[in-house]
Amino acid sequence: MPVIRFIFVRFLQAILVTMAVTLFVAFAIRLTGDPVVMMVSEASNVTEEDLARIRESLGLNQPFLMQYFEFVKNLARGDLGDSFFRGPVWDLISVALPATLLLAATSMFVSILVSIPLGIYSAVHKGGLADQMIRVLSLVGLSFPNFWLGIMLVLVFSITFPFFPASGFDGLASLVLPSVTIGIILTATNVRLVRTTMLEILGAQYVMVARAKGLSERKVIYKHALRNGAIALVTFMGLQFGNLIGGLVVVELVFNWPGMGTLSVEAIAQRDYPLLQATVSILAIMIVGVNLAVDLIYGLIDPRIRVS
Amino acid sequence: MQDAEKTPDDMLLRVKNLTVQFGSGPMAVKAADDLNYVLKRNKTLAIVGESGSGKSVSSLAVLGLIKHIGGQIASGEILFKSDVLGREVDLCTLDEESLRRIRGNEIAMIFQEPMTSLNPVFTIGSQIVETLVLHQGISQRAARQKAKEALELVRLPNAGRLIDNYPHQLSGGMRQRAMIAMALSCQPKILIADEPTTALDVTIQAQVLSIIRDLQRDMGTSVIFISHDMGVVSEMADDVLVMKASKRVEIGAAKDVLGAPKEDYTRALLAAVPRIGSMTGTTKPKLFDIPGEASEGDTPEAADFDASEPIIELDKLTTRYDIRGGLLNRVTHRVHAAEEVSFKIYPGETLALVGESGSGKSTVGKTIQQLVDPVSGAVRFRGDDIFSMPKTERTSFRRQTQYVFQDPYGSLNPRKTVGESILEPAFVHNVVAPGSNGRDYVCDLLEKVGLPAAHVDRYPHEFSGGQRQRVCIARALACKPSLVIADEAVSALDVSVQAQVVNLLMKLQAEEGLAYLFITHDMAVVERVSHRVAVMYLGQIVEIGSRQQIFENPQHPYTRRLLAAVPVLDPGNRPERKPLEGEIPSATRRVGDEPKILQLEEIADGHLVARGTEGFEGMQLA
Repeated sequence: MPVIRFIFVRFLQAILVTMAVTLFVAFAIRLTGDPVVMMVSEASNVTEEDLARIRESLGLNQPFLMQYFEFVKNLARGDLGDSFFRGPVWDLISVALPATLLLAATSMFVSILVSIPLGIYSAVHKGGLADQMIRVLSLVGLSFPNFWLGIMLVLVFSITFPFFPASGFDGLASLVLPSVTIGIILTATNVRLVRTTMLEILGAQYVMVARAKGLSERKVIYKHALRNGAIALVTFMGLQFGNLIGGLVVVELVFNWPGMGTLSVEAIAQRDYPLLQATVSILAIMIVGVNLAVDLIYGLIDPRIRVS
Repeated sequence: MQDAEKTPDDMLLRVKNLTVQFGSGPMAVKAADDLNYVLKRNKTLAIVGESGSGKSVSSLAVLGLIKHIGGQIASGEILFKSDVLGREVDLCTLDEESLRRIRGNEIAMIFQEPMTSLNPVFTIGSQIVETLVLHQGISQRAARQKAKEALELVRLPNAGRLIDNYPHQLSGGMRQRAMIAMALSCQPKILIADEPTTALDVTIQAQVLSIIRDLQRDMGTSVIFISHDMGVVSEMADDVLVMKASKRVEIGAAKDVLGAPKEDYTRALLAAVPRIGSMTGTTKPKLFDIPGEASEGDTPEAADFDASEPIIELDKLTTRYDIRGGLLNRVTHRVHAAEEVSFKIYPGETLALVGESGSGKSTVGKTIQQLVDPVSGAVRFRGDDIFSMPKTERTSFRRQTQYVFQDPYGSLNPRKTVGESILEPAFVHNVVAPGSNGRDYVCDLLEKVGLPAAHVDRYPHEFSGGQRQRVCIARALACKPSLVIADEAVSALDVSVQAQVVNLLMKLQAEEGLAYLFITHDMAVVERVSHRVAVMYLGQIVEIGSRQQIFENPQHPYTRRLLAAVPVLDPGNRPERKPLEGEIPSATRRVGDEPKILQLEEIADGHLVARGTEGFEGMQLA
């Protein structure tokens, strides 16, 4: 029962967050200028009447709040509307969203796969040579701007040594460079997080108790300590998802990855109100959804907050 | 090499010239220095000493776990007759693989903190099963059956249900029992118990000690019992090893070491131990006799108090905490932390408020501090209710009521010098004029609490725990209070330091005419410091009276139970106690399910006892 209540409250929260974010975005993009002027910029002899007619057909003559209300009403029905230039928004998103999710999931996966063993090794051998190196490397990784790292990887691995495609989305090979770019940056943070979390837990009394039982060090670390560490790690990695989306936008542009980031930036450049509002809403819902999932997973790992 | 001399048959474990150190080179710190002792079969060896004496470290060495806390065995031998390996081995040089076969199997350990010793994400059962499967190679199912038996052995009710519970669902005492069940599940030859009852309430402590004693007798286990509590040691030990600053001070049979100590240090340690019953026949508090402090023995007894007008009076004070839940987040349960608590404290008097965890004693202190709001009732300070007094008077009340808390580490700001910390409240309350630097004022206070005035610019980390508590006392005095609330103020201190701080509090009381509300669970300290005692149980006072009335003529079964559970330092004599069973119930109740208010009856002048023993039947003692 409390779980249902919890999910219900979170669901309301998700709606509010989405509303707030889209309201702000819808308002802000309208400050950048008139999309109709942009549409007709290449045509000649356009009269004021023509402009007014186009505005009316797009509903842009309505007051702002009316336009926003219209958008929300359609959104509630699952109708994302039509892009000003590119047909139904849903068609565009149904291509871009999987591409982004694929990239995000691969990067997260790569980062977790690398950072957990490295972080644990670093914590167990605290102060040793490997620990020092891991810490220095993670600091270096943290200091890279993501776009620069992406360009460097392209320079080395697709221009000097043409192993992987430099841009676009064409088969799994093209997934490598963008996901490595994001993966490196995520890993740099995660290694440090895993290290500090494990250091704290390895000092806990129950870890000493596990050792005093005669368990092997591997079992002590990977069963008794890591299971507790997972509580903190899952929370952090969930929060990280928001940052990940932000990073994705930049990296998608660098690699010309046909995802949500690229789509949003194009929408901004073209003042494509419906498309931008839709992409931002979906990204906001995703972030709220991931955080809800984290809270639920949290309850699965930690019996102390599991509701009876 | 290790067979060079044959170990006598009854010696299970011999520690020879053991030196454990942390760090290396000239910076190395020795945590155990040339330590020697012998553990005999089926006997209990107690290792006693104050914090930092190396008593815990030497036991971790026995398990070969020293490297995990950053230390190493520099020299020495730990010879153990292992059945698993079929020979006598040196645990200092044994390979890790063989050590693991001994750990948890032939030598098991119970740790101090039951709240953190069990892994929170695994069930109690799975943690016991893990040990059994590891060492006995039996199936999960057989191990589960054995785990259940182990839980029954430590007298846990509902073992069948508890086995699938997580640690957080159990109280501290139950967790420690589960821990004992886990440690004893493989029937070890040696059980190392590191302060196993220090974190527990006194009645729960008595239960756990009797379980350890019974199981030791039944299983023939040898026990290494590490403790700072002389009373507990006296009840548990056959032999006693006294340690100080990593070194052995003396070792011998318990009745010799505790009854007729050879070394000055042991004598000083014993003198600082409050012994319950030692004040029989007296009415006033009494300073501890601390060797070396004898010059101040001119005032062995504290002053009497002035019983004309109370400084503070609680009148049916009731404080409850709401617990919300359900779909609409309504109040569903309430913690009845304090129910109609009434008492008076007179100038120059110490009232001890005693009880176990959850009794509401700290809530009473917090309510007087105005940290929580009461539901009903009044707190009158010199006749005026503090909750309805005007703001200026309330400020004056706050100045005159100061606090000393349990944790001297957490209650001082680490980024301020102690001088700044002491002066801050004095500035706030205009005791020291703004603008003046107040340095002389602080220096005087430091000297008053027995610290050198030169320490005024030091930071808290440069002081020991006892010195920090003195700083906290100086801070309380800075506002020239008339009432000091000491909430477990000496509970975290070593006995010798505790005795000094208690003496300091009593001297300050005599000099300044201070009134104390002394909140504590430690009956032995209470007997020393208090003029009057109030015993709390589940939010209500069950008995209140003069120190003499409560200790020499306790009437309520709960008071008796509390007094009987206190370990007695009586070398050579182990009291045969009836096992006390049961847990302290929760003070949390559903809304509408109000607890019954106990009616107090005056049976002698100032001696009030709760009428009727409903709900206390199980506590009747002979």
